Amino acid sequence: MAEEKYNLQPDSFEPLAQDQDQELDSEKIAAPSLTFSQDAWRRLKKNKGALISLFIVLIMAIVSFGSTPFINHSELVKSNPEYANLPAKIPGVNINGLNGKMKVSGVWTDVYKENGIKDNVHFMLGTDYLGHSLAQRIIYGTKISLTVAIVATLFDLLIGVTYGIVSGWKGGRTDNVMQRIIEIISSIPNLIIVVLMLIIFKPGMTSIILALAISEWTTMARMIRAETLSLKTEEYVLAARTLGESTTKIAWKHLVPNVSSIIIIQTMYTIPTAIFFEAFLSFIGIGISAPQTSLGVLLNDGQKNFQFLPYQMWYPAIVLVILMIAFNLLGDGLRDAFDPRTRR
Amino acid sequence: MKLKKFATAGAVMAVSALTLAACGSKSSSNDSKQVLNWDETAELPSMDLSKATDVVSFDQLNNTMEGLYRLGKDSKVEPGLAKKTHVSDDGLTYTFDLRKSNWSNGDKLTAKDFVYSWQRTVDPKTGSQYAYLFDGVKNANDIMDGKKKTSELGIKADGDYKLTVTLDKKIPYFKLLMGFPVFFPQNEKVVKDAGSKYGTASKYMVYNGPFKLTKWTGSNLSWTATKNNKYWDKKNVKLDAINFKVNKSNSTSYNLYKTDKLDGTPLSSEQAKQLKNDKEFLTRSAASTFYFQYNQTQKRFQNKKIRQALSMAINRKQLTNKVLGDGSTVSKGLVSKGLAKNDGKDFADQAYVKEGVEYNKAEAKKLWQEGLKEVGETKMDINLLSDDTDKAKDSTEFVQSQIESTLGDSVNVHVQNVPFKTRLTRSEQGDFDLVISAWGADFADPISFLDLFTSDNSQNDGEWKNADYDKLIQASKTTDAGNTDKRWDDLVQAEKILVQEQGIAPLYQQSTAWMVKSKVKGIIYNSSGASYNFKNTYIKE
Amino acid sequence: MKKYLLKRVLYMALTLFLVATITFFLMKLMPGTPYSNQEKMTPQQIKIMNQQYGLDKPIWLQYVIYIFGMLHGDLGTSFQFSNQPVSYLISSRIGASAQLGVQAMIFGVVLGIIVGSVAAIYRNTWVDTTATVLSIIGKSVPNFVLAVLLQYYISLKLGWFPIADWGGFSYTVLPTIALGVGPLAETARFIRTGMVDVLNSDYIELARAKGLNKFGIIYHHALRNSLIPLVTLIGPYTVALMTGSMVIENIFSIPGIGEQYVKSIQTNDYPTIMGVTMLFCFGLVLIILFTDIIYGIIDPRIRLTGNED
Repeated sequence: MAEEKYNLQPDSFEPLAQDQDQELDSEKIAAPSLTFSQDAWRRLKKNKGALISLFIVLIMAIVSFGSTPFINHSELVKSNPEYANLPAKIPGVNINGLNGKMKVSGVWTDVYKENGIKDNVHFMLGTDYLGHSLAQRIIYGTKISLTVAIVATLFDLLIGVTYGIVSGWKGGRTDNVMQRIIEIISSIPNLIIVVLMLIIFKPGMTSIILALAISEWTTMARMIRAETLSLKTEEYVLAARTLGESTTKIAWKHLVPNVSSIIIIQTMYTIPTAIFFEAFLSFIGIGISAPQTSLGVLLNDGQKNFQFLPYQMWYPAIVLVILMIAFNLLGDGLRDAFDPRTRR
Repeated sequence: MKLKKFATAGAVMAVSALTLAACGSKSSSNDSKQVLNWDETAELPSMDLSKATDVVSFDQLNNTMEGLYRLGKDSKVEPGLAKKTHVSDDGLTYTFDLRKSNWSNGDKLTAKDFVYSWQRTVDPKTGSQYAYLFDGVKNANDIMDGKKKTSELGIKADGDYKLTVTLDKKIPYFKLLMGFPVFFPQNEKVVKDAGSKYGTASKYMVYNGPFKLTKWTGSNLSWTATKNNKYWDKKNVKLDAINFKVNKSNSTSYNLYKTDKLDGTPLSSEQAKQLKNDKEFLTRSAASTFYFQYNQTQKRFQNKKIRQALSMAINRKQLTNKVLGDGSTVSKGLVSKGLAKNDGKDFADQAYVKEGVEYNKAEAKKLWQEGLKEVGETKMDINLLSDDTDKAKDSTEFVQSQIESTLGDSVNVHVQNVPFKTRLTRSEQGDFDLVISAWGADFADPISFLDLFTSDNSQNDGEWKNADYDKLIQASKTTDAGNTDKRWDDLVQAEKILVQEQGIAPLYQQSTAWMVKSKVKGIIYNSSGASYNFKNTYIKE
Repeated sequence: MKKYLLKRVLYMALTLFLVATITFFLMKLMPGTPYSNQEKMTPQQIKIMNQQYGLDKPIWLQYVIYIFGMLHGDLGTSFQFSNQPVSYLISSRIGASAQLGVQAMIFGVVLGIIVGSVAAIYRNTWVDTTATVLSIIGKSVPNFVLAVLLQYYISLKLGWFPIADWGGFSYTVLPTIALGVGPLAETARFIRTGMVDVLNSDYIELARAKGLNKFGIIYHHALRNSLIPLVTLIGPYTVALMTGSMVIENIFSIPGIGEQYVKSIQTNDYPTIMGVTMLFCFGLVLIILFTDIIYGIIDPRIRLTGNED
């Protein structure tokens, strides 16, 4: 190399061939071209916590929704009071608490034996007061909680995004009125809305979903509005406007894609909020009704018997907490992925 | 109605609401003081005896006030303010000689206080929801209907200590009624001075019973009953004070019990199942029955086989022992066991109709299929309405499971657990298919239950109609009212018809499980009326 | 500023009026009566009682009477507690709830700031990870579960604090923790993000380059700047505390307003339901106004004018 430097050949002064010219183009981006979502996904993959969370959420969703053919209505209404309140018993495991033994007034007692239950009966996570398998209940409860949360969040999205975009886009008087309406709605406690829903509609899942959707969309609308306000002044939007593009088309082509990261992140935070609120409703006594169950109902039932049957609270609580943590970490991960500025 | 009130309280287990608790931690240092710490499951909403409607109020009134009689153990009538009672031969006039006694503010308590109290209660302006108990006292119904003046009520004071009560018709259980707080006296001056504030806080009250309330502000969660030194029989009152604490969570009250902050606590079903072998565990059975009402304005429930099938599909023994676990027992009929006896025989045993309350899977299936054919349906969707207390939820879930698993795919049960008053309204409006209702006796007589299912009774929500039944109930009140045995037979026959025809399906008789410290002695608990009487309660370490 | 305030107060009044109207008419849709023993009352009695409660009048008139009464602080008479004015029920119970709410807010926010700042200062170390995980768990445990755990382990097993009831300060400790953990977790996460942002900014670099003391930098620049947006969270926290109080007061047997609210829903006590609803709304609206004003004062970038955008 060094020698070559001094050994200049005449052809060194020839213009470069076309292909070589491209190689050295300073404008050329060396990395492969990535779309926004590919880029986000690449960043998300680097975030181990978020990635694990994503898997946990997926696994929970697959297990709980995949259980539908096995845990159906007739399975849910079946009760076996003779198997009521048994602790966990896993075949082949001999750890107190998981082998059918439970602390009864401070002493580990084999509850299965005491109740004269055959040796081949096992309940992985024990049973509830009607002798339902708790494992089965938790899987089903997770499904219901997720369904409530996801459907409510979708409604939330639909109302919130539309409202936010319209409010932000129109601006002026419309915006002002719409913001007042949000203010009013968010100053009515959700509970009152739910109670009324439960009376107007049949108590149960539908009313809870509707109530959640009606009371929770305001945050989304606020955020979307703020974002729309700033997008509105962007040159490309201005350009589209000047070119006479219709408002709906601008909204759909320019606004929605640009707020999509907010939507996804906000969704990740809304889902746990909805799960949480559903649990709260169960405590107040107006949650999901039998034979259906939810994590909230299970927790509330467990909470009442904690002194004697702690496992009935612990297991659903652990599942709930894992689910909530997963959604939160995933939300954080997505936020960082979509908005690299906050990435550290 | 009692049961409804329990439910109103939103109390977890509700039914026999008041528990006893004795002085715990503090007593060791001061043994001379007899103090009781007692758990309530709901606030005390009113101390106005004309307006009280709930079990907490009635129990508080029973311990701070006194009427002509006080109900002792097993609803035995014990002397109260009446020193001597004279009943006329036709049973329509009662003359009471009152003992000399004072209100807690020193005022003389006279026969006029009874007259004032009774008139105030039946006055429609007062809005007493328990005034119906005066039915039978002369002119009471007309006064409540606004047709007569309150002064025409059949009660009169002759001087200060003689009281005469006249009746329209014989009331066989009249003396028992007199032990119920609605019939206690009220101090006119105090009531009028307090105006609309009467009965809303301890400072607006005056008492004539064993205890008087302090620190009750109307909506707070703790108050104290202290010994009333003006009480005529104060030498037999041993407690110096009772501290009442409202805890709405059973686990909280049990935790307090374990740390001696409370000496008695009601238990939830699960707690009861776990503690049933403890030596401090006890169950208190209430004179209250839970039963199905079928909406018989619907064609399908007019079919007796359908009704029978639904009733027979339920394993009541499992319901009481495994699901409720609080000492509740399988009902023999509508009238609760232990409520009333004649010639030493319990009413519930005599009126027992086995087919009406038994569990028979095979028969249920058979009747169901036959019934379906008769009404021309292949599949039924049934809404099961009930309260939203924990126990109600547990029972409905079990009942749903039993019906669906016994009767198979041709039935679908939808459970609706709603707040108590909503349940009441919906029952009244006939907005249900199947409802689990509950009734608690106001006094220890079968009629307190059986009156409900006459054709025109407003509480017959299922609108079951049976002429024979109506006739028997009518006879018990009129032609046979004076003849104890005949009246008894009428009522036994009536209940047999009711259960045989499945006008309703009795499910279980309610009990409540408690933990009560063994040092607490002498609590009197009655299954009907105002349940608790602490007059003779004491603590023995 | 004055104009802005006036405008805000007007909006506030409008909000409350609308809420009162909506709640009033929705309450009228609910089934049930104030009477628990209606079947046993004579028509005459019911008629007179309805008159006393004003239920015999046409609904629009009841509405006018209610709104008019409300302006005078009269929220009607409770159905459940006979003869008790709702305003009395509320005033006798608001103290406990307010104390608990304020304590929980202070506990949550102060501890949250500490945890969040520590996590930010030691970002990407095990301290940060622990703090993050803990605050997510704090956010993820329903407060009734937490309350039960605290009651069982701290009170019953260790005996450090009373199990339930309401008396001195020691009675408030566990309920405060149970209520305050939500805001704590939220604050910690919020502060951490905010501070990390600030700590990476150029002016902090400059301050560091100038050789300023590390804690001085953190206090003067990082913390102060990340505290400002925290004010906006006070509104949502208030909502969370109101909801939480219904649960916590029930478990710890505290005579508060949340517990009263649940009870009144269960007993169809419409006047109380409406009264407490109005109180919650009023509280919330007031706090939102308050935080907006404070925000304007401490963050000069936000101008308080009558013009919105």
